[in-house]
Formats: sequence, C-alpha cells, structure tokens
Amino acid sequence: MDSSTASILVEVFFETIGYWYIIVPTILLGLIVGGIPGFSAANTIIILMPLTLALDLQSGLVFMISLYCSARMGAGIPAILVNIPGTAGAAATPLDGYPMAKQGKGQQALAISFVASCIGGLLTTIIALATMPILARVGFYMHSVEMIVVMLFGISLIASIAAQDMVKGLIAGFLGLMIGSIGTDVVYATPRGTFGILELYDGVPLIPALVGLFAVSEAFVIIEKRVIVNHDGEPKTPNWGDTFDGVRIALKRWVHIVWTSIIGLVIGVIPGAGASIASFVAYQQSRSFSKTPELYGTGHPEGLIAPESANNGVTSGTLVPLLVLGIPGGATAAIMLVVMQFHGVSFGPSLFENQPKVGYGMFMAMAVSYVIMFLTILPLSRYMSHVTTIPTIYLAPMIIAFTLVGGFVPREYMFDMYLALAFGVLGYIARRTGYHVAAILIGVILGPLLEKYFLWSLKKSDGDIMVLFSSTLGNILWVAFALSIILPIVFGMRRKRKFEVPAE
Amino acid sequence: MSMKQTINRRTLLGTGAAAAALTLATPALVRANTFPDRNISVYVPTSEGGGADRNFRAFSSVWKEKLGTDFEPGFYPGASGRVGYEIYMGKAEPDCYNLIFGNMGPEVLNWAMQEPSFDVNDYFYFGQVDKDPCCLFVGAESPLQTMDDIIAAAKTRRLNVGTSRMAHPASIGLLALGDKLGVDFNLIPLQGGKGTVAGAVTGEVDFSVLTSGSVIAAGDSVKTLLVFGDNIVGEALDNAPSINDAYDMDLPEMLSARAFGIHQKAADDFPDRFELLTSTFRETFDDPKLMEAYVAQKGQPEYLQYAGIEECAAFKQSMLELGARYKSLLTGA
Repeated sequence: MDSSTASILVEVFFETIGYWYIIVPTILLGLIVGGIPGFSAANTIIILMPLTLALDLQSGLVFMISLYCSARMGAGIPAILVNIPGTAGAAATPLDGYPMAKQGKGQQALAISFVASCIGGLLTTIIALATMPILARVGFYMHSVEMIVVMLFGISLIASIAAQDMVKGLIAGFLGLMIGSIGTDVVYATPRGTFGILELYDGVPLIPALVGLFAVSEAFVIIEKRVIVNHDGEPKTPNWGDTFDGVRIALKRWVHIVWTSIIGLVIGVIPGAGASIASFVAYQQSRSFSKTPELYGTGHPEGLIAPESANNGVTSGTLVPLLVLGIPGGATAAIMLVVMQFHGVSFGPSLFENQPKVGYGMFMAMAVSYVIMFLTILPLSRYMSHVTTIPTIYLAPMIIAFTLVGGFVPREYMFDMYLALAFGVLGYIARRTGYHVAAILIGVILGPLLEKYFLWSLKKSDGDIMVLFSSTLGNILWVAFALSIILPIVFGMRRKRKFEVPAE
Repeated sequence: MSMKQTINRRTLLGTGAAAAALTLATPALVRANTFPDRNISVYVPTSEGGGADRNFRAFSSVWKEKLGTDFEPGFYPGASGRVGYEIYMGKAEPDCYNLIFGNMGPEVLNWAMQEPSFDVNDYFYFGQVDKDPCCLFVGAESPLQTMDDIIAAAKTRRLNVGTSRMAHPASIGLLALGDKLGVDFNLIPLQGGKGTVAGAVTGEVDFSVLTSGSVIAAGDSVKTLLVFGDNIVGEALDNAPSINDAYDMDLPEMLSARAFGIHQKAADDFPDRFELLTSTFRETFDDPKLMEAYVAQKGQPEYLQYAGIEECAAFKQSMLELGARYKSLLTGA
C-alpha cells in the first residue's frame, strides 16, 4: 500500500466517522428490517430509493452500507430467540442459536452472535481491503464445476444432521431437494412440478419455506408450552453478566470466528453465490473439524459463531467483484450499483484510478459501521432476550402473524402466505415424527443452486459427466470434500477408542 | 312579458335521455379528470438492479412529472420473463393503473418458444423507451481478443457462449453467425444480463452475447467484437463492426427494445386514461431532462428512441416470426 493510498484511507476513515448521525439510526433501521422475515437490506434500499438518490453520494453510500451490515446482523436476532430466520442467509443460525435460547441462554447467544458478526465483518472488511486485487480473482477460478463441490459441502450437512437417524434424515433431505427442484429449469425454462401454479414457476420461494418450516412449525410446538425457555433452563432474569459471558465465550473462540468469516468472504466474492451457501458451508466445516461434533445442534456456541461470522464475511465479499469488476456479487450489491451509477460512479477496474475515495469509502463505511454496531447493539442483548420469557399464548400468534406477513412481503402474493402455512404444517409433522426440518430446508435452499451449476456444467460439456473432474481446482475441492467427510469419522473413531481404553 | 313554456313528449324524452347520459357519463368524466389519483404500478419481469431497472427509473423520473403521479415498480423475474407477464396478465387489474415494462426482444421471442397462458394479443406495447442492438463481447482478460481468435478457436472446439436466456435475439444472432461461419456454438443461458457479463469476465464461458446497452454499462471489464445490428455508438462498443458488414450477411437487426405495455382491455375500457398515458409518454421524450436522467443511468443517448403503438406492434410481430423460425434450435427440440 503506497503513501497516497494510506492517506486516502485515513482521510476517508475520519470522513466516515463524521457520518455517525446517519450510521446510528440506519443501524437501528437495519436491525428492524433484518429481523422482520421477508424484509432485507435489498428491498429496504429499493423502498427508500427516492431518499437514497436524493442524498449526496457519500451519505447515500454510508446509508446503504450501514443498512446492509446491520440487516445481516439483525436477521440473526429472531433466528436465535424465536427460531425465525429473517433471510436465507440466517437459515443456519437457529440450528444452535435457538437451542441456546430454549436453555435460557438467549442473552448469551445474542452476545455471541453480535461479537461473531462484528468481528467477522470487520476482519473480512480489512482483509478484503488489503487483498482486493487477489480476492477479485477468485471468481475467475470458481466456475460452475467448482461451485458444485462447494454446494456439496453445504448439502453434506444433511448427512451430519441425519447421523442420529440416518433413514429419517436422508428422507427429509431428499424431500427438501425434491421441493427445491420445483419451478422452471435453468436451461430451457420448462416448468416442472408446478402443477400449473404460476407462483411456483420461479421455484419455491425461499422466505415462505424458511419461515414456514422453522417459525410457523415452532409456533405450533411452543403453544404446547408456557414459555419458550425449557422448564429446566437456567434462570431467566437478564443481567449484564450473561452478555459479558457471551462476549467471553465468543472471544475465546476467535480462531473459529476468523476461520469461518474467511469462508464467508471467499464465497461472497463469487458472483451469484450468497450468504445462505456461506453459512451452511461454514457450519458444515465447523462441525466437521470440531472436537465435539455431537454437541452441534444442541446449543453449541461454535455452531452459532460459524454461520454468523460467515454471513457477515459475505457482506464484505460481495463488494469486491462490484468494485473491482463492476459485477455485483448479490442482490443488495446490484441495487447499490444502480444507486451509485445514478451518482455517476463507474465501477470496474478504473474505479480506484478515477474515484478512489468512493471505492475505499465503501469498505471504510463498512468497517466503521461494524465498530459502531458493536458498541450500540451489544448492550441491547440484555433487553432483547426478554422475548423468550413472553408467555407462548401471546408469542405464538405473534410469531405466526409476523411470519405470514414476512412470507407475503417479498413477492406480495397471497399464495406465499398459504405456502408458509403449508410448510408450517409440514414442519410440525416433521418435528413430531422425528424428521429434522433443517435437513428439508437445506435441500430447499441449496438444491436449486446445485442443480443450476450442475446443468450449466453438463450443458458446457455436452452432457459429459466427467466434466465434474475436469478442473484442477475442482479436483482439489473434491479431495477436500472427501477429507471433510472422512476425517471426522476417523477422528470420531479415534476419540471413541481413546475413551474406551481407560475403561478396559 | 311572460313566456309560457310547454314541455312536449319529445322534449321530455330528449331532455331525460340527455340527463341520463350525463348522469351515467359523470363518473367516467370525473374518473377521467382525476386519473391518475394514485400511483401507477409497473410490473418489471426481470430482477432489480438490471438494465430494465435502470431504464425504468430514468424514464419514470421524468414521466411522473408529466402524469402527475409516481410509478411503483414491482420486480417479477423468473422463467425468462414469463412469470412477470403471467402475473401481470393474470392478476393485475386492467384499469390503466397497471403497466408492464418489458423488453420486446427476448420476452416476445419467449412466446414463440412456449405459449403463455394468455392470448398474446391481450396486451400490447404503447411506448418504446429505447432500442439497442445485441452484440458479441469477450472479457477484458479473455485469450480470445478478436473475431479471428474466436473463429480459429471455434474450428478446433465447440465454444461455450453465455447468453441471458436461450430465447433471446442475441442467441439468434449468434446462431446465424455460426451458420455463416460453418461452426457450432454452444449457448449457455446464464440467467440475466449480470450473469452473462460475469460469465464472460470470469471465464465461465468463452464469450457472451447480450444487448449492447448492458455491455456498455459493464465498462472496461469487457470488449465488444461484433454488433448484431448497426453500431451507432462507435467507441462505446469498441468500434465493433456490424455482423452484416463484417461477414457479408443480410441478417435483420437483432434488437432489444424496452417498452411499456398495457392490457388491451384497459385501453378499450378507459380510452381517456389511455390517451393521457400515451400523450404524457410522448411529451416525456420532448423534455431534455429525460436525456440527462437516461445518460446518468449509463444509457447511451443514441439508444433513447421513441416508438409508438404501430412501431411496437410491428416489432412484436417480427419477434414472433423470428422465434417461430429458430424455435427448434433454441428449445433443444
């Protein structure tokens, strides 16, 4: 980094801090829209587009970036407290976040999530800033063949989840994959499994499936209890000690935060990949190389850290192809592109030559937002966790109402509300009969993406299946994938043997 | 002086009929006078952040001043634009408060591939915002930097070519080029303009074909080599030649043309409203602010071209005919 770049960075940093009066309210707005299912940074920026366009370039930029970061973090709050992931990117958060809340550790879980998100986001922003030219190259190597293997990392979670009851787990996973294949195919746009229902032509919408499987079915379950927190849960009186405990637990696992946030960053820089892939892959990786994989899914802090660090890592990752190549990495980045172009900003290789303050300013806005977010949100965890103590006779109807509205919002179809209810019933039956809803959901979310990359690969190779092993990087990933499946089994057997030796 | 007036039966009936007609017409007149009394919803059959989004925002920012109301876009991507049209035709009220903003090129071509559930004559385009030819381009770092490179490579292997969707004028342009050169290109639908540009830039495909407006917006990440029509923007498309000039062909221009459409029923039932829409649409083109907004959104001034109902109808018809001709190649049938 030369001296002129360093001076620009310092200058932009102080300029960005001067926009605290925009950042703080935007963080609160982001937390709210992120927490409401169906809303996201992307559709909020669209709704507020007239305001964004009316602001000067720097203010608009700070507003959009702060909203993007805080909405990402906000989506984790209801995922932890009431099992409602607001976006697909937070779909892996409740796997361990919600069990913690049920154990009366909601406040701790929130603190862990906030620390993981902020540190993960801040760290990856710095890494992205420092290594932008290198990171921008990732997309040049990660093509459809390589992405198939990345998808399989995430989908293999089904097998992990199925470990307790392999048959039921696999049935749930395949059901999810089948549901995910509904819609028009990516090559010839031929409708499949839509039963002529127009609303299914674009596939099963994610948010209704997400809120239905997780939240609505959970509402049906918790209505049978008095409060979310288990009877044998820890005392529920919120105190600052729990927040500090959460911070301590998260900081103690700083290596985990760094590792999983970098997974998010790398996946984030691939155009078209997103937070949902990153969070599942990070969770799968975290579980595969954990010394205590059996604790995942029961309220294990590392199972919460992984998806939250990763999905915030994606946030900074999506900016890289946008700024360096002019290719938006995700939906929110695409909206930012529109707004910035309105202000006369040209993205692409020339951006850092012609308007370096804009390029660096976006990363700096992100870094400052994460720092301010950490300071402003952490204290709120004490109050937010009260949600878990609300009697379910009030909470369950509120969850159902909120989630149905959330199901409706993205596309504004009544059909999506009915779909959320149908998924809720499916999820309830699955829970009551011992099928894991997360396994269904992984299939629904990652199945269509896997199919897209698979069909592209086959189309490129004229149907030759060996295309899957045609690239060096792809083959390295295949080996890594095989190892990530085999090694945990080997480690598990070794641990078991160690445990058995003293017994003899 | 006093005047004695008598009302005979004919006067009574005539006055009554006039009064009744006036009474019946009043709501319509009031409606016509008050139209629009709320925002106009615009169905966009592609995702936000794309070329249609940019053009829509540029045009509506000026049109709204003429019409006196705002426009609310709703994005309904999926199934090559089919979802947006099906939703518009199936769910939107035909009352002139609901319009569709589509691309007359690829989206009409789609009807030739798979018939929609509605009659394609039940909607029509009444105002074209812009028109740009499709083009062939490579990523800035692609090893194929000239058409000669592409032709040489195509003779040794089947090149993978990114396209927004199979049924797209750019795909037809490429297939025609392949026919002329005696080489076979493999079309890979990369689901939208952003994906198509990304595919060429990152090397997912050997090169891509797309509407030139989106290629120009991608800046110096890409290099245009051939235009499936006339290159009226010169440098902006790297001075790429027209396919007809370069290869002595007689291909009609492969165009993308974004236009506002409306239900036929809405235009029939509410002629006053429709008249207001079309007249203000036309006025918008006379306002210099439109060009400023269009250029601000990275549009090429040369592409901003008005076309009315007749020209749009002719364009729609030509796309349907073109689609029928290339159907077997674009559907894998």
